[in-house]
Amino acid sequence: MKLISATPWGVYSVWWRHFQVYRSTWLVNCLPPISEPIVYLLAFGYGLTPLVGEVSHLGQPVPYPQFLAPGMIAIGVLFQSFFEGAYSSFIRLNFQKTWQALLTAPLSYTDVFLGDWFWAATKGAIAGTLTGLVAVLANLYDFSSLVLSLPLIALGSLLFGAFGLLVAGVVNKVDQVNVPIFLVIIPMFTLTGTYFPRETLPPLLARFAGLLPLASLVDLLRWPLGLVPWWPLSLLWLLAWMVVMARLAAMWIYPRLFS
Amino acid sequence: MTESPSLVAYDLWKQYDNVAVVQGISFSLQPGEIIGLLGPNGAGKTTTVGMLFGNVIPTRGFVQFGPWQIPAQGSQARARMGIVTQDDNLDPDFTVFDNLTHFAHHYRITGQAARQRAGELLALVNLEDRATAQVDELSGGMKRRLVLARALLNNPQVVFLDEPTTGLDPDARQEFWRLVLHLKASGCGILLTTHYMDEAQRLCNRLLLLQQGKVIDEGTPTDLIARVIGREVAEVEGIAGELLKDLAAGYGAWYRPFGSGHLITLPDADPEVLWKQLESHHPQRLLRRQANLEDVFLRLTGSLLE
Repeated sequence: MKLISATPWGVYSVWWRHFQVYRSTWLVNCLPPISEPIVYLLAFGYGLTPLVGEVSHLGQPVPYPQFLAPGMIAIGVLFQSFFEGAYSSFIRLNFQKTWQALLTAPLSYTDVFLGDWFWAATKGAIAGTLTGLVAVLANLYDFSSLVLSLPLIALGSLLFGAFGLLVAGVVNKVDQVNVPIFLVIIPMFTLTGTYFPRETLPPLLARFAGLLPLASLVDLLRWPLGLVPWWPLSLLWLLAWMVVMARLAAMWIYPRLFS
Repeated sequence: MTESPSLVAYDLWKQYDNVAVVQGISFSLQPGEIIGLLGPNGAGKTTTVGMLFGNVIPTRGFVQFGPWQIPAQGSQARARMGIVTQDDNLDPDFTVFDNLTHFAHHYRITGQAARQRAGELLALVNLEDRATAQVDELSGGMKRRLVLARALLNNPQVVFLDEPTTGLDPDARQEFWRLVLHLKASGCGILLTTHYMDEAQRLCNRLLLLQQGKVIDEGTPTDLIARVIGREVAEVEGIAGELLKDLAAGYGAWYRPFGSGHLITLPDADPEVLWKQLESHHPQRLLRRQANLEDVFLRLTGSLLE
C-alpha cells in the first residue's frame, strides 16, 4: 500500500459527511444507545441483584448494579463502534459506493479511511457516553468519573471501530459479518467481565477471556471501584490492538478501491 | 479563472496478472478540447480514465496535470478535476440539493457559498425543481446530470466522463451533450469515453481509437473517416462476394462482409463509376451513404463496436 498523506480538512470532511447522515435521523440514532443500557440495567439490576447481591471486585464486595454499569458502558462502545465500522462501512464501500465517490473529490485514501474510522469511533463514544450518563442518573457511576473515563471510551471506540472496518474490508458478502459477530463479538461481550467477574470462570477460560481487548477496557472503566494493578499493561494492550486492527483494516480495504 | 493547465498522459501501462489491459497510451488534453476514447467494451477505456485521476495505479508511466503528478499527487490534482464515473455513486442518504452542498464541503466550499453553487449547478443541469427530491426518485438521465453537476462543484479545469450516456434515452443523451458542449465552450478540457459513434463524432475534437488496450489510430473524426475510409460507402446485398472482390480490386476500394451483405468504399476521385457498376448488377439492396466512424472501426479492427 502506498503511503498517501492525509489532510485535517479531508479527514474532517469525510467524518462530517457521516455526521450529516446521522444528524438527519438523530432521534432514531440516539435511541439504541440510551434505551439499551436502561433496559439492561433495569433487567439485570432489578432481576439479578436480589439473586447476586454483591460481587467481589479486587477482593472487595461491590453492589452488583455498580459492578454492572462500567460493563454496560464498554458494551455500548463495543457494539456501536463495531457495527458502524463493519455494517455501515461495508454498505458504503460495496453498495452505496460512497468511498468511491469520495475518492473522486480531492481526498486521499487515508482521508477517507480515517474519516470512516473516526466516525465509527464517534458512534462508539456517543453510545459509551450516553450509557455512562444513564449510569450517572441511576447513581451507579460518578459524573466526574465519567468525564475522566472519556479517554478510555475514546480508545475503546477507536479499537472496536477499527476491528469493524477490518471486517468490512475482509468479508465479501454482508451476511459474512455474522461470522466475527458470533466468533468474536458475542464471546467477548459475555465472557470478559462485563456481567460478572472473570474469576468465576474456569481458570483457562478466564485467562483466555482476560486476553480479549474488551476485558482490558472493562477493567479500566471500573477504575472508580478500584484500579487493577496491571492497568498500564491493559492500556498498552488496548493501544496495541488498536494499532494492529487499524493497520490491517487499511491494508484490506485499499485493494477494494485501487487496482 | 487561473490559467488552465493541460493534462498529459505519458506511456500509461496497466497489467493485471500478466495481462496488459492498457499498453503504452500517451496523449495530451488541452483546455477547451474534447478527446474521445473510443473502443469496444474491454478495450481499456475505463482503466485509462482511472489512471488519469488516480484510482488505478499504472504499472508504468504517469500523468502530469499542471504541477501535479498522478497518482502520487492525485488528491491535489482532483481539486481541479471533475470526475463522472460509470458507477451511480450518488448519496442515497441525501436529497438532490444536499448531494451537492455536502459534496462541496470536500472542496472546502461551505455554507452560503455551497448553497449558491448547488443552486447554480441545478439550474445548469435543469434539476432546479427536483432540489428536494430523494436521489432514488430521479430517472436515469436525471441521475447522470446530477453526477455531472456534482463533478462541476469546483469549477474543474478538466472533466472525465466515463460512458456518461450509456443507458440513456435519446432525449436524455441530447440534453447531456448540450451540457458537455457548454463545458467545452467555457474552456474546460474534457475526456470522454464512449462506444457510441454518433456521440464521438458529434462531440469530440480528437479521437483515440482503442483496441485491446492500444491506440490503433487517432485524429479528428473527419480526418479519420477521410483517411481510413473516404467520403462515401455503399451497403450491398445480393451480389456475390467474388464479384465484389473483383470490383473492389479493380477500383482500389476496400470491401468486407457486413450484416447479411457487404460494405464497399466508393473511391473519392470518382465514386459514380463504381456506384453505377454496383447498380448494374441489380442487387436486392443497395444503399449509398456518407462514411462514418463505425466504418473506420470496422476497417481498423475487423469488428464492429458493439
